[in-house]
Amino acid sequence: MASAEAFHCSVVTPERAILDSETIGPVQFVAFPAHDGEVGIMPQRAPLLCRLGSGVLRVKTADATHRFFIDGGFAQMVDNKLTLLTEQARAETELDRDSVLKELEEARAMSVEGGGHAERQAAIRRAQEQLKLTPERR
Amino acid sequence: MANRRVLVKRRKAVRNIRKITKTMQLIATSRFQKAFKRAVDSKPYSEKLGELVNDLSRAAGSTDHPLMQTHDDADRSALIVITSTRGLCGGYNSNVLRTAIEHIDRQTDTGGGKSVDVTMVGTKGRNYFRFLKREMADQILDLGDTPRFDAIEPIANRLIERFEKGEISSVNVAFMQFISTSRQRAGVIQLLPLSSESNDDGETSTEGVGRQAEYEFSPEPEQLLGDLLPASVRMRLFQCFNDAVVSEQVSRMVAMKAATDAAGEMITALTQQYNRARQSHITMELLDIIGGAAAIE
Repeated sequence: MASAEAFHCSVVTPERAILDSETIGPVQFVAFPAHDGEVGIMPQRAPLLCRLGSGVLRVKTADATHRFFIDGGFAQMVDNKLTLLTEQARAETELDRDSVLKELEEARAMSVEGGGHAERQAAIRRAQEQLKLTPERR
Repeated sequence: MANRRVLVKRRKAVRNIRKITKTMQLIATSRFQKAFKRAVDSKPYSEKLGELVNDLSRAAGSTDHPLMQTHDDADRSALIVITSTRGLCGGYNSNVLRTAIEHIDRQTDTGGGKSVDVTMVGTKGRNYFRFLKREMADQILDLGDTPRFDAIEPIANRLIERFEKGEISSVNVAFMQFISTSRQRAGVIQLLPLSSESNDDGETSTEGVGRQAEYEFSPEPEQLLGDLLPASVRMRLFQCFNDAVVSEQVSRMVAMKAATDAAGEMITALTQQYNRARQSHITMELLDIIGGAAAIE
């Protein structure tokens, strides 16, 4: 695969590397949630260092698209290599709709007294983003 | 006669113990491998984090982050002591606790009468501190064999927050540092304030100067660094826990190996004793019979 059309991508958490181009092959496109909106990365992108928000991460390789939910962290693109550092990443397959729905309920039930409004919003958003990854079965 | 039966019983007991310690040794070995793998798996993250911190501090110029400032005026400091929940791991806990107590005493005596808030991890350490009637500000007992990052994160965040407020002058961690399979050292490391030297950790491993990328930053480098430093503090604490778990399993492995070997030696000695006792008993019986026969003649 020509390096001009693909790049190296790895996603690491403190506990382990959850995705690496060495195992899934070079990737063609990555979209990740930055702190101020979604950012798409194409091969040969200029060096970038940016903070991540919470949301859905998509990694597209020649034959598959991998989806993850990530929550905060940092992205570094340099030398045609993208590294995503995140403290929390959950693969699509690890999420189940019921627990996400429960999380959403809990987030909605959070008290907003004493300036907890932003926290509640963030929690709801997190749950909603995860919900996107768990389509209703049948 | 009675003596022989006692010996047989003891030998049986020692055999059983040997079986148990042998099994525990095997379990510790497999746990060690698992823990070691986890520690290795967390390397890429910390290395990358170190690299980012370096790149950023270069871009941001002089750094004056709250986490790097010293709060010498605060009269408290914090110490996290990482001990195990289970015993039978040789000198592991006592070594860690000794270092921890030395550190506390140094702080309270010579450090201008600073009091130390101890966060105790693991039942063994808690019991020991209770026994000594020493104070503990916080206890964390339910981490298990595989500390998860989610579990460590709140601990670190709480301490970071207190440090930023200036309530505590420093945060230290006392734990068993894993150097190699045959060498672990109980030590106290400073988590906060971040010394600039700890930032350079990654620099030796990365090709720092060779790759001077002109990054596009989002948000500004200063802000990014402000987020990155707490992340690296959390990561360092997480690594301390990983190290501690690996060391614990190594210690248990070594302790159980020693116990198994000792049990083996004991069995040999007991068998010897038993055989001697049996032989002398037989000789005695023979003497009886021969003596009796001689008396009849």
